[in-house]
Amino acid sequence: MATKPGTTSTTYSPIDPTHKTKPSIFTDSDWVRPDSRGFHQCRPAFFRTGAVNSASGSAYAEFGNTKVIVSVFGPRESKKAMMYSDIGRLNCNISYTTFATPVRGQGSDNKEFSSMLHKALEGAIILESFPKTTVDVFALVLESGGSDLPVVISCASLALADAGIMMYDLVTSVSVSYLGKNLLIDPILEEESCQDGSLMIACMPSRYEVTQLTVTGELSAPNLSEAMQLCLDACAKLAQIMRSCLKEAASAAEE
Amino acid sequence: MELPNAYEDLSSEMEVDAFRRLFPLRYFERHLTESIRPDARPLRKARDTTIALGAVASADGSALAKIGSTTMLAAIKMEVMTPSLESPDEGCIAIDFHMPPICSPNVRPGRPAEAAPVLSKQLSDTITSSSMINLKELSLVSGKAAWIAYLDIYCLDADGALFDAALLSAAAAFSHLQIPVVSLDSDGKIVIMSEEQKEKISETKPDNKEKRKLTLSTIPFSLTCILYKSYILADPTAEEESIMETLVTVVLDSSGQLVSLYKPGGSVLIYTSAVQVNLLFPPYIVMALEICRDLYHSCRCCFVIFDINIHA
Amino acid sequence: MEIDRADGRTPNQLRPLSCSRNILHRAHGSASWSQGDTKVLAAVYGPKAGTKKNENPEKACIEVIWKPKTGQIGKPEREFEMILKRTLQSICILTVNPNTTASIIVQVVYDDGALLPCAINAACAALVDAGIPMKHLAVAICCGVAETGYVLLDPTKLEEQKMKAFAYLVFPNSILSVLPEVSSPAKGEPVEHGIITSVTHGAMSVEDYFLCLERGRAASAKLSDFLRSLQSQFSGNSSKAG
Repeated sequence: MATKPGTTSTTYSPIDPTHKTKPSIFTDSDWVRPDSRGFHQCRPAFFRTGAVNSASGSAYAEFGNTKVIVSVFGPRESKKAMMYSDIGRLNCNISYTTFATPVRGQGSDNKEFSSMLHKALEGAIILESFPKTTVDVFALVLESGGSDLPVVISCASLALADAGIMMYDLVTSVSVSYLGKNLLIDPILEEESCQDGSLMIACMPSRYEVTQLTVTGELSAPNLSEAMQLCLDACAKLAQIMRSCLKEAASAAEE
Repeated sequence: MELPNAYEDLSSEMEVDAFRRLFPLRYFERHLTESIRPDARPLRKARDTTIALGAVASADGSALAKIGSTTMLAAIKMEVMTPSLESPDEGCIAIDFHMPPICSPNVRPGRPAEAAPVLSKQLSDTITSSSMINLKELSLVSGKAAWIAYLDIYCLDADGALFDAALLSAAAAFSHLQIPVVSLDSDGKIVIMSEEQKEKISETKPDNKEKRKLTLSTIPFSLTCILYKSYILADPTAEEESIMETLVTVVLDSSGQLVSLYKPGGSVLIYTSAVQVNLLFPPYIVMALEICRDLYHSCRCCFVIFDINIHA
Repeated sequence: MEIDRADGRTPNQLRPLSCSRNILHRAHGSASWSQGDTKVLAAVYGPKAGTKKNENPEKACIEVIWKPKTGQIGKPEREFEMILKRTLQSICILTVNPNTTASIIVQVVYDDGALLPCAINAACAALVDAGIPMKHLAVAICCGVAETGYVLLDPTKLEEQKMKAFAYLVFPNSILSVLPEVSSPAKGEPVEHGIITSVTHGAMSVEDYFLCLERGRAASAKLSDFLRSLQSQFSGNSSKAG
C-alpha cells in the first residue's frame, strides 16, 4: 500500500538552514520591504465575483500570495434548534487549506478569525431584510501570505454583495504592522512574524464608519492616529477597486 | 432552450423554473426525449475541461482542474519520513480529499461531507492501482529516509463528477511536482540545499543537482456517467446526479488498462450477450469506455500543451 | 491452466457457505453469513421513525453502520458503508414505507478475504429476515485476477494479497420465482444477467474484467440457489450447504 495516513507524526518538512535566522534588516534604519514596496504602499489587489457556481454569491481575492475564496449561502432556513428571530442571522467560518502555510498544517477551522469576521460584517448587513433565516459566509484561505483576515473580510463583503444580501455599504479592511518606529501597511507573512504589534480596521468607507478595530502591542497615541488614518485611506481605495469589480460583473451579466 | 409544451400535463400551465423544482425527473425526461440536456449539451458530451498548473506557490506541485464549474485544487507537499522495514527503498503517498463548506450548500462547517472520506479512499485506490507513480523514485537514503508526498485535493466548487475532476487535478499536480534538492546534514536530518551548497556538491553528486520530476508511467483518466432507462449521460452535473441515481465511473489508464469500474448500487445494469463475439458484451460499459477514451484524448492535448511527458 | 489453491479448490469453486437467520432477539431481523472463515453478522432495525437528517417524505431511508472487528472506523469502512447503502437501496422497495429509516448494522466477525461481498450477502439475508419489502435478492461475489490472467473466485485473504486486481460484483437474484416473465428493459434480456454493483481494485485489462463478469455470474447462480433454499425454510433455523 502506498498510502499510510497513520504515519503523519513521524514525518517532517526539510527546512532550509539559511532561513532559520531571522533577517536582521528589519532593525536597520534604511531597509526595504522584502517585496520592495514602500512602507505605505499596499499590494496590488485582485478581486473576482462568482468564483463558486453552487453558492448564492462568491468572491475570490488575491493580494500578493494571499489567496482566499468566500462563498455565501442563503438566506436559508436556520438550524432547527434555533429560536424564532425577527432579524436574520449571520454565520461565519474561516478555514485554511493544509497547504496554506509554508509548513503543512492541519487545515482546521480558525475559530478566532471566524468570530472576528462575524463581528466585522454584522454591522454592515441589514439583518432585518431576512427574518427567521440565516446567511452563511464561509471562507477558505487557499494560501496564506500575510494580512489574511483583512483580505477575508473585504472578500466576504464582496461575496455578500454578489449574493444580493442587503448591506449599508461594502466592508473593507486593511491592517498595519509596526516594527520599531515604522508603520507597514498590508504586511506579508514574514513581516507579520517579526512585528511588534498590529492594527486592523474594518470600515464602511462611504459612510466613514468603523465596524471593527483591533490593536495589539504597544503603540503611542500619535502613532495610533497615524496608523488609523493610513488604514482608512487604504480602505477607501480598496472600496473603489471592489466597486469597479462589481460593476464589471454586472455589466458582463447584462450583455 | 425552452420548448413549447404540447402535452396536457402541468408543465404547460407552470413556469419553467417551478416545473423544474417540483417535478425534476419529468423535467429531465422531457429533455432526454429530445436528446438534449438542460445545459444544452448532447447526452454523451462532457463539459469543457481545463487544467492550470502551479496554482499554489507554497506547494511543491499543484494544479487546478475544472470540469464545467466543478473545480478542484490539488497541491502536493513533500515531507521526509523513515521508510517501513518491508520496503526500505520506497517512499509513499498520502492522499486526502477535502470538501470545505465553500464548495456546496450541502456541506456545513464542523460536519464533514459524507462523500469526502469515500472519495479519498477511491482516489488513493485508483492512484495506487494505476501504478502511475513508481514509489522507488521517492526514496532518498535506503532504509533511512524517503519522501512522503502529501497530496491534498480541495473541492472549491461541487457541480457533479467530483471524482473525475479530483483525479484529473491529482494527476496534473503529480506531473507538475518538482522534488526539492536536499542533502543529509550531520545530524542525519534531511535539509534543503542552499544555492552555494548546490554548486559545491554538483561535482560529487551529479544526480542530485537540480529539482527532479517524477516519471509518470501511466496516467489514469476517469469518466462518470449516469444511467437512466436506456439513456447514458456523460459527465453529470450535481443536479443530474441528485435526480438520477445510477452512476458508473470508469477509470482507464493511458496504456488502456481498466483501473476501476465503479458502480455502487443503482438500477440493474443490463448487458446483452453477443454470442458471435463469444464475450459478454455490456453495451453501456463499452460506450462509457469510448467516451472516456475521447475525454482522455482531449486531456492529453491539455497535457501536451503543458509539456508533460506521457509514456503511453 | 491449472492453478493450485492452498485449500485445494478449483478456480471457480466457492468456499463452503453457511447462513443462519434470526439469531439476535432484539433486532427486527438478523443473519450471520460465512464463506469459509470469513464471517459477518448483520442486524436490521426498522422500519422505524426517521431521524431528522434521513427523513424523506417519499421514500424509506436506509442507513448502514459498519463495525470492524477491532479498532476505529476509517476510510475503507466508510466506503464499505456507502457501497452497502447504495446496493441495498437499489434492491429494496423504498416507496412502501415512506418517512421511515431502516438501520443495518454490520459486524465483522472474521475477515479472511471477500469481506464486502460476504457483508452484502449477510445484509441481504437480514433484510429478508426483518421482512423489509424487496424487489429481488442480491448475491455478491469477489473475483480475483492473478498476474497471469487467471480468475479466481471467492479468494481468501492470503490469495487476495497475491492478486494483481480484484472485482466485487453484485448480481440480482433471479426473480422468475416471484414474477414469471417481467418486462425486462433490454431485448429479452433476463434481469439476473445484469449487475447491481461493481467495485474494482487494481488495474486489469478490459477482457479480464469481462471474464470476471462471466465467471462471477456463473457462480452467482449457485449462491442464488443457496439463498433461495434459505427462503423456503420458513422455520428460520440454521442451514448449511457446501
